[in-house]
Amino acid sequence: MSIRVTFWGVRGSIPTPGPKTVKYGGNTACLELRFGKEERLIIIDAGSGIRELAGAILAKDLKKGPINTKIFLTHTHWDHIMGFPFFTPNFIPGTQLEVYGPVSFEDDPLEKVVGGQLQYRYFPVNIDQLAAAITYSRLKEDTLDLGGGLKLTTKYLNHPITVLGYKFEYEGKAFCTAYDHEPYRNLFESQPDEPGYDEATVREGAQAAQEENEKVQAFFAGADILVHDTQYTGKEYQAGKQGWGHSSFEWAINAAHRAGVKHLVLFHHEPTRSDQELEGIYNRCVARIKGRTSLVVSVAEEGKSIEV
Amino acid sequence: MKDKDQVLAVIKTYISKMPSLPVAWSKIQEISRNPKATPADLNQVISLDPVLMGRVMKLINSAYYGLNNQITSLVRAIIMLGINTIKNLALSTAVLGGLSNKANFQALNNEGFWRHSLCVGVAAKQIAIKRRKDPKQLEEYFVSGLLHDIGKIPLNNKLSAEYVQALSLTDKEHLPLYLTEERAMEVNHCEVGRLIVKNWNLGPAMEDVVFFHHFLDAYPGDNRDVLLTVAAANYFANSYQIGFSGDRFPAPLAPSVLEELNITRDYLDELESKVSPEIEKAKIFLQVSGS
Repeated sequence: MSIRVTFWGVRGSIPTPGPKTVKYGGNTACLELRFGKEERLIIIDAGSGIRELAGAILAKDLKKGPINTKIFLTHTHWDHIMGFPFFTPNFIPGTQLEVYGPVSFEDDPLEKVVGGQLQYRYFPVNIDQLAAAITYSRLKEDTLDLGGGLKLTTKYLNHPITVLGYKFEYEGKAFCTAYDHEPYRNLFESQPDEPGYDEATVREGAQAAQEENEKVQAFFAGADILVHDTQYTGKEYQAGKQGWGHSSFEWAINAAHRAGVKHLVLFHHEPTRSDQELEGIYNRCVARIKGRTSLVVSVAEEGKSIEV
Repeated sequence: MKDKDQVLAVIKTYISKMPSLPVAWSKIQEISRNPKATPADLNQVISLDPVLMGRVMKLINSAYYGLNNQITSLVRAIIMLGINTIKNLALSTAVLGGLSNKANFQALNNEGFWRHSLCVGVAAKQIAIKRRKDPKQLEEYFVSGLLHDIGKIPLNNKLSAEYVQALSLTDKEHLPLYLTEERAMEVNHCEVGRLIVKNWNLGPAMEDVVFFHHFLDAYPGDNRDVLLTVAAANYFANSYQIGFSGDRFPAPLAPSVLEELNITRDYLDELESKVSPEIEKAKIFLQVSGS
């Protein structure tokens, strides 16, 4: 095993516990990555799923010594950071935690945005009372050497606030995230008979959208595992969800196929989607692409792991 | 008189929170608060405000610093950053204070300055179209023209008394404004403009236009085409008195500039019929509904 990903939270927007989501899970985004024989730990996102991950880490890793890990936040929308106060290693002396992520245009530091959840009005423990040594670092589009042969590349995606996709490369394998993300589209599309029509703007908008989509596709090209936003069906997306910052199943599957991805994991499930509905959509998608692509497609499921 | 370091310190503080011009501000607020506003509305209103345009360009070029090319297209910036981010940015931009406070009398009025800036932007783009420049570059010509005098905003608003002095010196001695600015404040708007463009990360071409637009002979760099175009557009705006930038006695434009651009003075006459209606259209667009 070079890379193993375990899903602790797969739901978009808000936790959705209850009988309709028992199979795939109702926790919001949290991924556990393990690299190589040493099972080096990296965490992506601190949604409500991180609480259970914390329990697993304490049981498995703490006996080997204090927890020393990095959390990479894709962005700071609440469903991706809401579990942070419940990450129990924060309360254990000796824990060393590095939090990375993009910040929005307001330029508020991550410490305020993420750590700011730990204040008495929201939570019984204040950020200054945590026993762990926590550092916060802002990320932009970049390539970073994380040591030990692990390389990270980040890529801006399309969402109402700044989001980074992450690509981890280790021992010749690549694991990628592309959520929360909506395909770039020409916001200036209009018809010649509409008021204010400007041909040059329409053309430039179309070209910009196409080029940005190609860059995202190039970012995850050839990935062994791609975890992609698929909050909506194509029909839902077309019926009023444009501009919300999420992709459709159809878009993700086509993009992954074009980019030569090996295994696509459908992720960031719509909160109103029941297990039964999700399974139905998945089955229809798989039937439609059967025999037409070598791409493997699966649905992100809480507690399940995939390794390459 | 303040010494140069004191002046620069005052200006640097001001630049970090530079307010928008009142001419476009109300419309910007209206459009940004309107859930039905289209990207085209945003595009139009931002391109009419030099400060907001600069802030959007700063955001795209500092957030996306890994990109190979400097982004100067507002259309692309809106597609990449999304409408929410742009609206939020617009709503968080402050506005220049009113003119009512006599102690803080301003030498240049906002409306005249806005007209001049927009005129140079529109004229620079028209000249670029006439010279069959790559359509992808047209917006860079527009933005460079729109921002060429951006350095005057801090001088006019933070050193108002000195700026009045600089303007009256130009009238008395028939000197170009950048020279009388230097006499009154130790710095000129080109130097201040370059500080702003650097702070906003707008890239070397824009820096050169802002810094060298009165010093064409001294220009050593690679962005000659856009620089000369903006200088010609500026000459046009001043000689046809469209808007007012304080420069009543600018140094004459060397004939070689028009020759190098391959345009004639007759063409500048034609230009007036294209530029003035654009500015009037913008003025009507900027009227806030109900006012």
